[in-house]
Amino acid sequence: MSVTGADRYARQVLHWGGEKQRVIEQSCLLIAGVGGLGATVSQLLVRAGIGRLYLVDDGRLDWPDLNRQTLYGEKDIGRAKLPLARERLNQINASSEIIELPGRIDDAFRVPGDVAGVADCLDNYRSRFALYRAVPNGTCFVHGGLNGDHGQVLTLMAGTSQSFDEIFAGAVQPQGSIPVTPDNVVIIAGLMVNELFSVLWQTPKLLDRCLVVGLDDFNMAFLDI
Amino acid sequence: MLQIQFFSLIRMLLKRDAAEVAWTAGDTVQSVLQKTQQQIATPFLHKLVDEQGTPHAGTIILVNRKNILHLQGLQTPVADGDVLACFPPGAGG
Repeated sequence: MSVTGADRYARQVLHWGGEKQRVIEQSCLLIAGVGGLGATVSQLLVRAGIGRLYLVDDGRLDWPDLNRQTLYGEKDIGRAKLPLARERLNQINASSEIIELPGRIDDAFRVPGDVAGVADCLDNYRSRFALYRAVPNGTCFVHGGLNGDHGQVLTLMAGTSQSFDEIFAGAVQPQGSIPVTPDNVVIIAGLMVNELFSVLWQTPKLLDRCLVVGLDDFNMAFLDI
Repeated sequence: MLQIQFFSLIRMLLKRDAAEVAWTAGDTVQSVLQKTQQQIATPFLHKLVDEQGTPHAGTIILVNRKNILHLQGLQTPVADGDVLACFPPGAGG
């Protein structure tokens, strides 16, 4: 069954208009990590009609992932997430181009030159620091992270903002598994996508401004960076 | 006066967003945090620093938007009107 963009995106175009929709459809983003945050972030971007997504991940699906990694199911256990994510995203919207970048993000990683923004959906600081160092100057980096019922979203522009390494110096990975629930990860992912759209429209709301979210009492506060 | 802002787990622990304490010549991050704890009468320093006075890994303390690890750590001098932020970020994804 074929469908036109006008049909597919009718409800969102009612809200943000045709010009912003055109920008989304012509844009390219990199999603680092297709786990808890990245599965939902990439899914929402594809549903919105993003032109091209680069996905980076080196993990395989395990049972503890299924509570929040919204692209996968029981039959996927043991499979590599990256081709699974591409397959599922293609099923959702075949007009979005999905490009796999397999492997772990380390100091050898390079961000492709055609990306308009990078989404940090990673789950460890070592890779986050390496990812930020790989972002070309002038490109926005949208960071998301959470732990239990608190999380944060922050946008930095490489070459202009304080670097991610400087701000988060001393931030190390806690020992053991980090508590993450399905509802809270989707909330932070949704905020990241909202900000990624703003980045594509060149009106980021969280540039040098960390939105700190407390879900125990629905508190939102800004930490200027 | 100095403003001390609390985020995420520290805000949850203290049930407040911020505090103000009087500035005194010679104040450092450490002395300001100690004064803050005394003023609000709720222990929270153990969430930020260990018994040796070293900031916990994973906790970010900013003075006027700069991480104290790039300054002089807990001995970073503070001036009247400075803003301190205590922020243990979420690491998961």
